[in-house]
Amino acid sequence: MKRVRFKPEIKRTQSFSLNITSMTDMFTILLVFLLQTFASAEVQIDPVEGLRLPSSTTEKNPVTGVKISLTNSALTIETQLLAQLQNNEFIGGAIDPNDSSFIKPLFEALQKINNNKDAKEKPGKILFQADQELPYSVLRKVMYTASMAGFPNIKLVTVVGN
Amino acid sequence: MAGRYKPKINHNSEFDLDLAPLLAVMVKLVPVLLLSSAFVQMMIIETELPQVVQDAIAKQEQTATPATISMTLDNKTGVSIVINDQGKEQIKLINLNEKNTFDFEKIHQVAQEIKKSHPGVFKIELNPAASVQYKDIVKIMDEVRKSKSKEIRFPIKNEKSGESTSTDYMFPEVIFTNMLEG
Repeated sequence: MKRVRFKPEIKRTQSFSLNITSMTDMFTILLVFLLQTFASAEVQIDPVEGLRLPSSTTEKNPVTGVKISLTNSALTIETQLLAQLQNNEFIGGAIDPNDSSFIKPLFEALQKINNNKDAKEKPGKILFQADQELPYSVLRKVMYTASMAGFPNIKLVTVVGN
Repeated sequence: MAGRYKPKINHNSEFDLDLAPLLAVMVKLVPVLLLSSAFVQMMIIETELPQVVQDAIAKQEQTATPATISMTLDNKTGVSIVINDQGKEQIKLINLNEKNTFDFEKIHQVAQEIKKSHPGVFKIELNPAASVQYKDIVKIMDEVRKSKSKEIRFPIKNEKSGESTSTDYMFPEVIFTNMLEG
């Protein structure tokens, strides 16, 4: 006699309820965490790659301003690369030969913003993001040039905690 | 006589709460919050101060010869603070600690002492040496900005009401005086 393979009887119309309690628990925890980290500041600053900001106890939220970032390899304004650095020195003729603290491309970029009448960053404010390991000599050049270009109000961007 | 009808209530009955709508809301909320979350919280160092402190700073600026406090930072020698009050100069030196780094605790203590003797001064001039790291400058600015101790507060006069109050702010206004030296 030929053996017939056992076929379990499957009810095609059968319905079942999925237990979503554990999934709801997980989402609740996730929601609480995300609500805690919800960014409510009026200005959002995106961290620049390769930049480690210093930590500070300041409690002031960022304000609108021209975003300048300085890593140990590049100086950028918003997302535009202005100059490159090597061993904490600006390279590629970025420094004015007559003034060792004057960064020409930065001055020109800030002048362009100053001349743009529609720019919202008009009140001469700069949001300055600089790497925590950089020496003051490099920072001073940026601050000096910004002051010369009519941006004396420099806000130092820091991170909260460590 | 027929008794009053009492429906049978099973107090041990169980029922399933329908969590599907709640889950649907959460599934929609989570991506929205994920997009708008700031996992690295950034702040700025600024001088947004209470009105009383702002008024006191304005008064300090109106003073013909206000006391000036100048702080020179050098990562080889330490910190030297020069207090110039109406021509009288006083110098305070804070050496580096055993680890050859800035003694932040001592800087805070000295800043508190200076603030006690000059409660009307809110501005400090900072002169970091070229080799001082940015993180050290920020840390020193933190140390001199506010008193960490809740017991140590400084008298301040409300210029509008004339009432005396107190503040934990020490030197919130920092000026890099050697910035334009070229």
